[in-house]
Amino acid sequence: MKRFKLLSVLLVVVLASFLFAAKAWAFCGFYVAKADAKLFNRASQVAIARSGDKTVLTMANDYKGDAKDFAIVVPVPVVVEQEQVTVSNASILERLDAFSAPRLVEYFDSNPCEPVAYEAMPVPAAAPARLRGGAARNTDSSLGVTIERKFTVGEYDILVLSAKESGGLETWLLQNGYKIPRGANALLKPYIRQKMKFFVAKVNLEKFEQSGFQNLRPLQMTYNSPRFMLPIRLGMINADQAQDLLVYVLTPKGQTEVTNYRTVKVPSDNEIPPFVKNEFADFYTAMFQTAYTREGRNVAFLEYAWDMGNCDPCSAEPLSRQELQAAGVFWLDQPQDEIPNPSGRRMMPRPWPQSGVFITRLHMRYTRDKFPEDLMFQETQNRDQFQGRYVLRHAFQGEMKCAAGQAYRRSLPKRFEQEAQNLARLTGWNIQDIRNKLPKLEAQALPWWDRLWEAFHG
Amino acid sequence: MPMDARYYQIAFLALFLLLGVATRDWTLHPETIGIAIATCLLTQALAVTLRDRLVPLPETAPPSVLQSLPSALITALGLSLLLRTDQPLTMVLAAIAAILSKFLVQWQGKHIFNPANVGIIAAISLMPHAWISPGQWGEESWYALLFLGAGGIVLRRVGRWDTTIAFLASYAGLEAMRNVWLGWTWDVWLHRLTSGSLLLFALFMVTDPRTIPNARSARILWAIAIAVLTFVLRNVFFLPTAVFWALFCLSPLTLLFDALWAAPRFVWRSPQPAPPVPQALP
Repeated sequence: MKRFKLLSVLLVVVLASFLFAAKAWAFCGFYVAKADAKLFNRASQVAIARSGDKTVLTMANDYKGDAKDFAIVVPVPVVVEQEQVTVSNASILERLDAFSAPRLVEYFDSNPCEPVAYEAMPVPAAAPARLRGGAARNTDSSLGVTIERKFTVGEYDILVLSAKESGGLETWLLQNGYKIPRGANALLKPYIRQKMKFFVAKVNLEKFEQSGFQNLRPLQMTYNSPRFMLPIRLGMINADQAQDLLVYVLTPKGQTEVTNYRTVKVPSDNEIPPFVKNEFADFYTAMFQTAYTREGRNVAFLEYAWDMGNCDPCSAEPLSRQELQAAGVFWLDQPQDEIPNPSGRRMMPRPWPQSGVFITRLHMRYTRDKFPEDLMFQETQNRDQFQGRYVLRHAFQGEMKCAAGQAYRRSLPKRFEQEAQNLARLTGWNIQDIRNKLPKLEAQALPWWDRLWEAFHG
Repeated sequence: MPMDARYYQIAFLALFLLLGVATRDWTLHPETIGIAIATCLLTQALAVTLRDRLVPLPETAPPSVLQSLPSALITALGLSLLLRTDQPLTMVLAAIAAILSKFLVQWQGKHIFNPANVGIIAAISLMPHAWISPGQWGEESWYALLFLGAGGIVLRRVGRWDTTIAFLASYAGLEAMRNVWLGWTWDVWLHRLTSGSLLLFALFMVTDPRTIPNARSARILWAIAIAVLTFVLRNVFFLPTAVFWALFCLSPLTLLFDALWAAPRFVWRSPQPAPPVPQALP
């Protein structure tokens, strides 16, 4: 029964930055110093690979400030040992993002006067990357804070703390140079009461310089816990605006959903005017905001759910086995007498379509008033595949002299209008502005019977 | 045929299902609902016919197959509302398990388990393509009110509102104690309680008059026991399906409670002689 009592994974990341202390508590607080080029401000990215009770959690680090000012605090259910923590490659989260990003699909109409058996093949246009994304035991008895573990991994110096009460922990953090915001005390208490440990990481400047990396790499930790959740409460402590969180969940069976908030699919498969190709980022941002408002601002959006073995259309190549393993997937080729492959040679992929890894991309935009509780997840058996996909259909531009060509031309204004209305509905943009951007159809003098036909049939 | 509360239940469950399909983004396929209904009705009809062959009824008895079908329909609607699957066969097996449990697992003519609950537990524990989506209803107060209002009407008719109150009150109390101990703000507590799925369970499953204890004090104690187990399963074992497991595990207690607190057994149509067919809510 002991393992059920081990209070489980609660993950909170706190950036205790000397310079940006007031912003330090954004969840996965690395994200306070976002570059302007990013699509969503204050967005965090987390990858979770989970099978059974075992979880591998990777937290993206796009902290842009001075490395010496960087620090995080992560409550964990158990004392995390040195071998359970690694630094991962930042490109893994970028690959997960690119593979699962909402995408545009382009179709080119064929000449209606030369009918062919197939419509033009879809040409996937990759969506722009939306987001880049030894056991010393030392007790400070007066504060009730114990240093359970102390070690260095990659460029990070790591402490694992346990605390008896939140005031003591707050004081300890302040005394040791972590500037935490007011109100932290009250929010630390629930985690301490659940006997969580606190994983504290700072940058070891010497190691960082030796490593030669320009940016801090993601921290990855492995733990066993029946609890499948992410804490967001601490991250909202001083937040004055909504924060975005992208979670890539990798599981063996099927879709992952949030159990204590609704999980809603983002609008998808809509036909929209082709000019959106040049402003896809604006389109997606506006569409997401519209859907978020419409759903009451308290849901988790499903942006992608797919087997990792394939994609249709692909916005990026599926991840290789090595990349999946780097993302934390630990169950592939796990069974029986698997011998590690020292050559590192890539093994044959499993037959299509089941790769044994299912990805769910969840996008949460949360505020304190609408998300009072930490996020709880569950893996389901649901293997329905879903993607955020938006269709551009380019009209045939060439000369059309046959009757079918006339009919096709007559059908275009209605189609363009429908696409414009779809776009206006999805994004809340002004319909007139959209219409002004639509391609101009050649104004041809139609015979009176054609005009009559058009009047009746549109 | 006089109106019994089952028809109200059918109407309300069907309304919820329609609302869910229309306003909520569910993995809910109309054909799966159809399959659940067809399988439940067919299994019920076959099982009753078979049982009547084996145990001949007195000639004055009402046509038991027809009379028992509304209960099977309620079970089917309950399964459709709560159980999710992407394979029709899973729903077929869950529905068969649900209905057959009424005939196969009974004690002195009273079936022990709530049929829809049996179907759900059988599906999620034994079949590879079934799951429960506890978050699917969201926590909009509109839904909460609708559930409460509709449930209230049904409960007043059935006369088992006490289990709902006992279950919800004790569960809310336990969650409140946890909230105070942990030091969370009260909106966390409210968020944990205003779940449509929890209310649906409290109003339509834990109240099933055919499978819960007959005496009121026994019922209240029983409902509190389910609330305690739900609380433990949710907060210590982190089971998203805690309520269904709690009901399933504690259903056999009904036998013990009925032995300790004697009271007349519930029948759907009290003026008539007790129907020979055990019927059940989901």
